[in-house]
Amino acid sequence: MITLRRLLGDRAFLTGAVAAAVMVLVALTAPLLTALAGQDPTTYHNDLLDSARGGVPTGALGGLSGEHWLGVEPGTGRDLFARVVHGARVSLGVAFSALVLQLLLGVGIGVAAGLGGRYADAVLSRLTDLTLAFPGLVLAIALLAVVPQSWPRPVLLAVVIALLGWAGTARITRAETLSLKTRDYVAAARVSGASPLRVARREILPGLAAPVLTYAALVLPGNMISEAGLSFLGVGVRPPTPSWGQMLSTATTWFRADPLYVFIPGGLLFVTLLAFVLVANGVRRVLDPRQSEVLR
Amino acid sequence: MIGLLLRRVAGAVLVLLALSAIVYALFYLAPRDPAVLTCGKGCTPERLADVRAAMGLDESALTQYWHFLEGLVTGRDYPAGPDVRHCPAPCLGYSFETDQPVTALLADRLPVSASLALGAETLSVAVGIGAGSLAGLRRFRFLDPLVNGLVLAGYAVPVFLVGLFLLLLFCVRLQWLPFPQYVAFTTDPLQWAQNLILPWIALAVILSATYARLTRAGLEQALGEDYVRTARAYGFPERRILRSRALRGALVPLVTLTAMDLASLMASAVLTETMFGLPGVGQLLVGAVNQIDLPVVVGVILLTGFLVVVANAVADLLYAAVDPRVQLT
Amino acid sequence: MRTALPLTLSAVLLAGALAGCQAGSDDDTSAGAAFDPATCQGGTLSVLNQGGITHLDPARLYTSGGGNIPSLLFRTLTTRNRLEGEAGTKPAPDLATDLGKPSDGAKTWTYKLRDNIFFEDGTPITAADVKYGIERSFAPELPGGAPYLRDWLVGAAGYQGPYKQPGGIKAIETPDARTIVFKLRKPEGDFPYLATATQFAPVPKAKDTGTEYEKHPISSGPYQVESYDPKKSLVLVRNPHWKRDADELRYACPDRIEVTAGLDSAVINQRLVAGAGQDADAVTTDAVVGPEQLAQLGPGGQLEKRVARGEFPSTTYLAFNTKKAPFDDVKVRQALSYAINRTSVVNALGGSAVAGPSTTFLPPQKALGYQQYDYFPAGENGDPAKAKELLGQGGLTIELAHENDDANGLGPKVAAAVQEAFKQAGVTVTLNAIDSSTYRDVTGKPSTQPGLSLQSWGADWPSGGPFLIPIFDGRQIITAGGNFNLAQYDDPAVNAEIDAIQALTDPAQAQQRWGALDAKLGQLALTIPLTHEKDVYLFGKNVKNAVPDGWRGTYDLARISVK
Repeated sequence: MITLRRLLGDRAFLTGAVAAAVMVLVALTAPLLTALAGQDPTTYHNDLLDSARGGVPTGALGGLSGEHWLGVEPGTGRDLFARVVHGARVSLGVAFSALVLQLLLGVGIGVAAGLGGRYADAVLSRLTDLTLAFPGLVLAIALLAVVPQSWPRPVLLAVVIALLGWAGTARITRAETLSLKTRDYVAAARVSGASPLRVARREILPGLAAPVLTYAALVLPGNMISEAGLSFLGVGVRPPTPSWGQMLSTATTWFRADPLYVFIPGGLLFVTLLAFVLVANGVRRVLDPRQSEVLR
Repeated sequence: MIGLLLRRVAGAVLVLLALSAIVYALFYLAPRDPAVLTCGKGCTPERLADVRAAMGLDESALTQYWHFLEGLVTGRDYPAGPDVRHCPAPCLGYSFETDQPVTALLADRLPVSASLALGAETLSVAVGIGAGSLAGLRRFRFLDPLVNGLVLAGYAVPVFLVGLFLLLLFCVRLQWLPFPQYVAFTTDPLQWAQNLILPWIALAVILSATYARLTRAGLEQALGEDYVRTARAYGFPERRILRSRALRGALVPLVTLTAMDLASLMASAVLTETMFGLPGVGQLLVGAVNQIDLPVVVGVILLTGFLVVVANAVADLLYAAVDPRVQLT
Repeated sequence: MRTALPLTLSAVLLAGALAGCQAGSDDDTSAGAAFDPATCQGGTLSVLNQGGITHLDPARLYTSGGGNIPSLLFRTLTTRNRLEGEAGTKPAPDLATDLGKPSDGAKTWTYKLRDNIFFEDGTPITAADVKYGIERSFAPELPGGAPYLRDWLVGAAGYQGPYKQPGGIKAIETPDARTIVFKLRKPEGDFPYLATATQFAPVPKAKDTGTEYEKHPISSGPYQVESYDPKKSLVLVRNPHWKRDADELRYACPDRIEVTAGLDSAVINQRLVAGAGQDADAVTTDAVVGPEQLAQLGPGGQLEKRVARGEFPSTTYLAFNTKKAPFDDVKVRQALSYAINRTSVVNALGGSAVAGPSTTFLPPQKALGYQQYDYFPAGENGDPAKAKELLGQGGLTIELAHENDDANGLGPKVAAAVQEAFKQAGVTVTLNAIDSSTYRDVTGKPSTQPGLSLQSWGADWPSGGPFLIPIFDGRQIITAGGNFNLAQYDDPAVNAEIDAIQALTDPAQAQQRWGALDAKLGQLALTIPLTHEKDVYLFGKNVKNAVPDGWRGTYDLARISVK
């Protein structure tokens, strides 16, 4: 209760939370919203483009009008509002799915390292350190390029991002597990002969919730950045599925002719990331008073 | 001490071996035949067999891997048509796509990546430590929001967004700078810096945030430590305490991080390189991945691993050198 | 040659010519009447390119009309007539005194070499040097280049090059130092067009160093190599033994030409627009203008004075595999032909400045025999109602194969435009992105060929033959791979007509018959023609006489001046 009240008193957190909630809501209701606007993300509108000038939207502000709330995409005339809203689904969907996988992997490995024997700990910790140190982007690009093109890209993206980003969670989990292990009630359970699995489930996991969730809150925007980056490099989701990173990468060739086309996906990405970071920051301040200072 | 060093080296070699094996297996299993790609259009089955033999692809996966390891130590010859292509040790493989040894390709790109990484790291450390230590001192508490903002930005902005913004502002709107086009330092140092300044800034926006935060936290903690209090009790001037004691303590975690960041930047600033069209190692990787140029992909990943492992070791040494509590023995 | 896919230096150069509409515009603000080839000499020309200069061996280059950069170094028996519009689609004598004398029903071609022609070391060029240059292009050690000669020359199909078979090719005779005679298996009226290829450049046997030769190929043209770093840079300086009066077509204005490769297309165009310092004297042979520049083009646009608009004969189309359901059903092919939205495809390729809608397989150049037809009128935006009517009840789901990047205009952008157009007609399209480096391998092997794929076809030379034969000649179905008859269409009557036209040595007659053949094939809906190419290239502020030629659609480095 106190926690909640303190959170609600934090203005930065509140702003972030509201913005984040709006984005999640937008992503969830994307088809509804586009229907409401009377548009869809794939229909071409050739009549709104100036073909002789490379297919740049006719009219000021990238073809912005009452029908096309954010204008249309150069080269295709597809409705930008619809594309951006559907792009939110990919961005958030991949980030959340990857997060769930990361937590499963990270907590599993972290607890195993913390509770396992000396050798298990040594091997798992070394693996964690390595994964943490290695620049994941390099491997992610290589991985995404060799899998057959027909595999579902969003799922693949989530898996690859998770596989390369579980180590932080594992490290924190291990540290917390080690400290929990020495607590009286856990020691008591172990002495009384409870199986390691039972100890892990009943005694350790509840204690992990706060620190792991605090950390996870920060991993989420990281995942979004990864997805956007991979899509930007062209190894992310495939067209015609819209994604912010992919839109940005096409937009880079248009920034003089149609600046709005850059600002819409770019601005949204920035605002959404900022919202989630503010949320993470607020949660940390409340749940993890040892580090009252901003982030780590 | 020597035992420890040997153990570290052995461990590093083991890690690199494991990495190479995994990457090799990964691409060996990939459902694309590099020989077909190299052979090109109008390829007859006989010619394909020749190419396969020349690339060493007619052998089993294990044998191929073994030859790869041999080549690392002794160099390697590839038969190709009438002449033989020699790949001197340490041979990371031969790119038939570009008709060059992988090591030559990497050596070609490394100066670009190193220029990018070194400049960005220098700038980030300077800005990070500057802002962080100012904010860490009570007198400059009003700078806190600035550092907080910097930190938030560091987390919330992808590097390609910063890059895009910088290009838009300085090259398109204000036209203060030309579109970046890599010029070697040895050709013209001024142009080298002029063309790299935007990529440096883009990376520094992201990196300096962490450094500023770490410096501030470290400084705050160090000011409360015993050795600082002792120094104060002895009557050392405050400025000297700050410089020689407190800041030194605060720098410890920063050193490790800097070394690691530098290593990973060398090989993985893919997005920055793409954004600014810099022909570095990251671009090499993206190109190789698109052409399924297996030896180059493996080479880049191994180079990255190598740099990370070396940086790890260097960081440990620096750590000992800079921390007043750790003594080199 | 079989494709416009840029693989070699020259192919990249010609692919630069990725467009094709109106013959060049009049940019006589900078060129035009004031230009005098006699006083254009001096200065350094910079060439800023994305790719190319991968190889410099004339045996390995795959060019249309001799290429742009290669043609500065190598003179060939014939070359392209370097003029704007239709005049530029004709071959012209280069080393030879005329376009060749056909005899024996165009099965024998005889050429006389002109006087006053020398290699860069001062040695006179002889017929034996030309013969040797052709022979070494057969060597497996020097892969690349067009495959026609192997097919056309008598008994040359199995020849392994002079390194393994020093005896040479019997079908090429050199009765004296000035005469060279070619004996062909069948009549080939297009031989003078083929003789523009770099394989017809002379190579002195004494200086041949095999695979090392390209480090410094011996020049027969106005320039010679000063330094060459593959894929990165090439510096050309004047060849002192080239005689201006023995070469009417190459003006050779700049004293020095510096080629830089490996640049980003957007950066190249930005630099050409800005024109700072040396960039004022710069051109590009492979970076077509991007959307940023296209948006500044058009009447009154400030860039309009600094673009060359040309046309390279090339068609982007959808290829059916008529051996695969549902495309074995002509009704399905017709329905999709009605459904296509060509405006969306044009816009996906960069708008009407760089692509025009095509309803015919032959692009709209007279030299190829173009005849207008539109059997399945789809209008500007498609006719989904008519398509639905033909398809009847029940939806259709098909797969469309395309390249995974947009560099060759066969990528996701165009595929998505096709997908959306077919969706309007109730046809669901799933996209199958194939790696661009393997794309032609997958689609060119009947066993792996998809039912529907996005393709493009460029002219090896401006004539109907090389445009139609590989695509529609039933004897050209190659099951082992490298097949371009993707419809797998084989009609003896069509094959016989092809043979008959090939025997014609009068281009005007041949044009008429090629056009009629295309119109006849069009009724079968074996392909859906989408667009033809138009080329827009920028050039630097100080560049003069940047006139696109009718053959390749780009300006000619041999005629540009920076003085």
